[in-house]
Amino acid sequence: MHDANPIHWRQVILSLSPAALLLGIFFGAYAIFLFYSVHPPATGGAAADAGWTLKYYLRYFASANERNTLWRTFVISVELTLACIVIGYPMAYVMVRSQSSFLRKFLIVSLVVTFLSGTVTRAYAWLIILGNRGLINTLLMKIGLTDSPLHLVYNETGVFISLLHFVLPFFVLTMMGPLKNIPRSLEDAAINLGAGRLRCFLLVTLPMSVPGLVAAGSLAFAVALSSFLFPLVLGGGRFRMVSNAIYEHIFQAFDVPMAAASASVFLVISLLFFWGFGVLQRMVGQGPTNQAH
Amino acid sequence: MHPDHKPYSRSVLLMAVLTALFLLAPVVFIVIFAFHDGAYFVIPPTGFSFKWFENFFSNERFRHAMLVSFGIGALVTPLSLAISVPTAYALVRGRFPGRDAISMLIMSPLIVPGVVTGLAFLILMSALGIGPGFIGLMLGLTCFTLPFSVRALVANMHGLQPSMEEAARNLGAPASSVFWHVILPQLRPGLLAGGTFVFVEAIDNFSITVFLTTMNVTTLSVESYSYIRDFDDPTVAAMAAVLIALSTILVFVMNRLVGLEKMFRVE
Repeated sequence: MHDANPIHWRQVILSLSPAALLLGIFFGAYAIFLFYSVHPPATGGAAADAGWTLKYYLRYFASANERNTLWRTFVISVELTLACIVIGYPMAYVMVRSQSSFLRKFLIVSLVVTFLSGTVTRAYAWLIILGNRGLINTLLMKIGLTDSPLHLVYNETGVFISLLHFVLPFFVLTMMGPLKNIPRSLEDAAINLGAGRLRCFLLVTLPMSVPGLVAAGSLAFAVALSSFLFPLVLGGGRFRMVSNAIYEHIFQAFDVPMAAASASVFLVISLLFFWGFGVLQRMVGQGPTNQAH
Repeated sequence: MHPDHKPYSRSVLLMAVLTALFLLAPVVFIVIFAFHDGAYFVIPPTGFSFKWFENFFSNERFRHAMLVSFGIGALVTPLSLAISVPTAYALVRGRFPGRDAISMLIMSPLIVPGVVTGLAFLILMSALGIGPGFIGLMLGLTCFTLPFSVRALVANMHGLQPSMEEAARNLGAPASSVFWHVILPQLRPGLLAGGTFVFVEAIDNFSITVFLTTMNVTTLSVESYSYIRDFDDPTVAAMAAVLIALSTILVFVMNRLVGLEKMFRVE
């Protein structure tokens, strides 16, 4: 019957072929650039064929600059993930538990408008808000809290603030589903049996939301890790992330094999993280599923 | 007893509201700044003006970039949806080995850093002798947006009753008319939600796009980045205000048609 095999395999293959073609192009593009990182393309003036070489990878790992960029990218991504958990979790929780439909609407609109307002726009907005003669510094100096402007842009601070703003909606929108699936009755039971709100949170809500935290946290981490535009605009060349370094290899040094090698290293590292998060997700399980309301 | 207790304290509520204000602040700020008549930010504002809007719309490069961006959005969106509908159909209704692996592969353009994808497509287009430009942008952005549309349509398809399709089949409808007359009409919310995401992401994308634009084919995101790098006035704020107004209208329409909470899977 249809239940056992709802659609025929021929239909499956036919249905999947357009996506397969597109993904073929996608992975084909990756194959060529991985190839260029170990077998640089022949350039006009130089010898026709440079042959196989690992020198670009060796150069990458020998460079203290590249290693430092990789490390700082990793560190700021961890910090951003933690910050997202601290300020995003309460927001997601209020969104799914609030009785007030006005409050829920306000919170979702703030997320959606931010999501849709454009990344270049937001980078530009932060540049003017945080700049030396920007909103915050002008206000602080008017009030007299500081005589000279605080340095909030063209350094890690500006990149961190703007990236937190960028990553947060991804975290909150992913965190809401799992939180919504925690039955309210369990929290009510804990409170009615005399647990305080804190105990209820630590012993009921938090443990049940661990799978959601892993999912939303890994998304936030992945988004932070691959940031490009915000460090480009607010880092001012002084704070760079891996994506910026790759961009500089190709558009400032015009060094295709070096860009390909550093992109390959970055690709492998991000896939490793992705795989690690997958393992972690399987360890913590699915969490409560969508049936208890 | 706590018959009607709030599940969270006031401080948690305050934190949520402050976070929402933090999210809204730059958006509100940039819209107000677009109407400021001076080129530099000052408090108190010196006056009200539409001149940055005039500046934006009279700028040849911005006008051209707007055309390219909306053209790409208008082509990538139906392309991405057309590829995603049969894909989602096979993933939800098919039972075949390697289904999870295939759905992972389809999601992979989301996981790979945008700069890596942009570089890969730049090298591919150059290797093919086509070079960067419109075709590369179309291909790269269709790959990048595919996960968004597949995800929206898979979620939609999971909610459909297979019994309707079975009934049509048992009554003798051929597979093609089951698809066109039974399945497709029920996919409207998924197509709207997926299409919105694809359109917005295709227009907004910077990290892939910046590798594939040329002097003559440039998009709004890349053009506005070079503008803020080279000039110091609120023209880009005016552009932002226009785009934010457009996306707010879009949000209202979507809210009417699909419902925001459903679209962002709060439900």
